[in-house]
Amino acid sequence: MIRNVHDEACALIALGGAVSPTQQAWLRMHLEQCEACRLYLQALNDVVGALHSVTISADFRLVRTSQMRVRFHSRSLREMRQRVWLVGMACLGVGISGTLTAPILWRLFAWVGQMAGVPNIVWQAGFMFFFALPGMIVAVLLLARGAHPVKSGIDSGQWS
Amino acid sequence: MNAAAYYFTNGMESEASVIARGLRRRDPELLDRLIEQFQHRLLRYLVYLTRNRELAEDLFQETWIRVLERGHRYDGKHEFSTWLYAVARNLTIDYLRKINPVSLDGLLEQDEDHASVEPRDVRPLALDILAQRQQLLRISEALIALPAEYREAIVLRFQDELALEEIAIVTGARLGTVKSRLYRGLSMLMERLGGARA
Repeated sequence: MIRNVHDEACALIALGGAVSPTQQAWLRMHLEQCEACRLYLQALNDVVGALHSVTISADFRLVRTSQMRVRFHSRSLREMRQRVWLVGMACLGVGISGTLTAPILWRLFAWVGQMAGVPNIVWQAGFMFFFALPGMIVAVLLLARGAHPVKSGIDSGQWS
Repeated sequence: MNAAAYYFTNGMESEASVIARGLRRRDPELLDRLIEQFQHRLLRYLVYLTRNRELAEDLFQETWIRVLERGHRYDGKHEFSTWLYAVARNLTIDYLRKINPVSLDGLLEQDEDHASVEPRDVRPLALDILAQRQQLLRISEALIALPAEYREAIVLRFQDELALEEIAIVTGARLGTVKSRLYRGLSMLMERLGGARA
């Protein structure tokens, strides 16, 4: 696209002073000679001045509500992080103790199975069930909690 | 670089770093201060972005929630206001995408092609904002009637006084595009206001 010097000058004026020293010098020189571009600059200054006078203010209620929401949400996040940490530590503990006790339990189930005279598959299935039971209970509890998600934000319509 | 400029630059950096550190800690005192500090600028940006005061107020609150949640992503290398505007802008786009298949991005692209798109009725907003002051009403109406990407560039540059590079970061546009939007936007605004040549 080919632009003439006046378009170029107007484009520089529209940047609101964000031009290089070279461009500034060129623009100053051009403005000295060009009445139309001087008028454009004047009109632009008027518009920009008027833009500054347009005020949109946040009222006290909005600021206060935002601060309260942020504080409340911050607390929720902190509590959630603590819960996640606790669950993580519990999982770690269960994992370690499970790993350490699995061989002992295996031998115990084998011994009980032999004493009771049941086939191997029965006491092995019993062992698997016993070993997986805590995990299954926790999973059911978590699923039950997950059925009631906490909604927030725009979707929930909680804006006041 | 002279001493004053050096001091100024370092002062800016340290303030941004303090904010970044506070956001990583989710410091409630810092967030309270930031909300107060940026209340008018952020709301004005959102009002002009959405052309709806109520929605802008909703998004204002939601922006701060997002700042809380994602504050650790602010690295302190740029001005906080630049990052804040980008968060607000993305949130607005996400929200508009949810309620309308045509996103703000889509609207912006459409506006690029059809710069003379008719604005929505803005009278209630303008009246609300300007409280019957005729001259200001005219300017506000003219600004709101501009296509979104021009309106956004003008508000960020001439009301919030962001540098061109910062506007490019906020809007995700190239520097040349930002310059072009400013020029075209101002020309259209002046034309609507009956100013000098467009």
